[in-house]
Amino acid sequence: MANLHSSGETGHELRRIVRINEEIKCVVAKAFKINLMAMNAIFLAKRAGQSALGFGVLSNELRRFATDLQQQMAALRETTYGSVSTVTTLVKQSRISRLLERARIEAQGEGKRLLQQLMCSRDESTLARSEEQMAALNRRLSHMIAATTQLVELGSVLARSAKIEAAYGGGFSTSLMQVSSDFEKIIGEIQRSLESLTKHQSEDFLA
Amino acid sequence: MKTARAIYEDGNHKWFAIVRDSSRPDFLIDTNEYMVTSEGDAILLDPGGSEIFPAVFSAVSTGFDPRRIHKIFASHQDPDAISSLSMWFEFNPAIKCYVSWMWQGFLPHFGGQEDTFVPIPDNGMDILVGSQRLQAIPAHYLHSSGNFNLYDSKAKILFSGDVGAALLPPGEDGLFVEDFDRHIRHAEGFHRRWMGSDKAKRDWCARVSALDIDMLCPQHGAIYRGEDVQRFIDWFSRLDIGVLKS
Repeated sequence: MANLHSSGETGHELRRIVRINEEIKCVVAKAFKINLMAMNAIFLAKRAGQSALGFGVLSNELRRFATDLQQQMAALRETTYGSVSTVTTLVKQSRISRLLERARIEAQGEGKRLLQQLMCSRDESTLARSEEQMAALNRRLSHMIAATTQLVELGSVLARSAKIEAAYGGGFSTSLMQVSSDFEKIIGEIQRSLESLTKHQSEDFLA
Repeated sequence: MKTARAIYEDGNHKWFAIVRDSSRPDFLIDTNEYMVTSEGDAILLDPGGSEIFPAVFSAVSTGFDPRRIHKIFASHQDPDAISSLSMWFEFNPAIKCYVSWMWQGFLPHFGGQEDTFVPIPDNGMDILVGSQRLQAIPAHYLHSSGNFNLYDSKAKILFSGDVGAALLPPGEDGLFVEDFDRHIRHAEGFHRRWMGSDKAKRDWCARVSALDIDMLCPQHGAIYRGEDVQRFIDWFSRLDIGVLKS
């Protein structure tokens, strides 16, 4: 794991969390858009009648996909917020460690020995615990992003299938084709956001 | 977690109140943080203590990119107002902290470098956020000896720091003052004990009475709106302060 003891590293970690959070916000906005579009697509399929039955089913699935994606992003956001707490603890702990180290260098005799002892026990407990917590949160975040990527892959398949179904939409075929193209475009944007998210997540974090 | 609530909005010129942390431990005093944004620039007002940094940071990040926070305004030097500076500085080493010249040598004990601090002279100064000009208004000795409020003449909002603060009991912690007489009881003890100079108080009352204020936003408790603003100023001007017991 990257050494988060130093001041620059913790600042970098916070900025990394912000970049991840900004991508999450983008995906949430797009998931909301898909949800609305899917609702409209369901109405459109109903108007088109028998010839758009398949398209209606897929629109329903896309709506469910958007809801699942929103929930997944809410969980991701919660995990990134948890990371902020852990980084804050790490900054405080590393600051205390730096001050103790300076005191140890300047101390004499028994004081020096006591500080040495204190620092050993701190290194073994608090800092190690916080760093392990940070590593665990990052592992969790990586798993969640991987699960979200799979979910979005499913969304992409649904959008492609909707496009095929649109061809059988009779008189409504052009409108259905337009809607399914929009689905495909937005899901493509989500995939690109997730790629950035994955990149930010793996940035300089060697857990 | 705290929430960031927009209390003023005109295009991209906005005021957010970052308030009410349900996960805050009881032994920490509750604080309000504020953020003013304009054209991609933002300033945080009294960003709070380091203990609540995660809550403030997360609340800000929900609706805003915190990388755009380039400035911090510290009304005074208390830890509940500014000890999170070390964390904001970690996040953005180029951040600037506006504070009374008196605390320029004290605040680095919380964090920051020499060039982090922009000293505010005793008579105040203007601070530019995007295209908005905010004014640091002197409020010395209320309660800190080097103390400032921040006034936004366009939004007609005064961030008043500890002036107007109230320690609200559970269940009476709404964002805005709804019943002035009921609310002010929770402010009285605080103002009597914390505010030490009657002369400074009278000066402040005269100074802010001349400003056009729709909202008076303290660092603790609820926000005064409309007629409650002048009601508070009148109440404060009459209050016997600098006493140990009421």
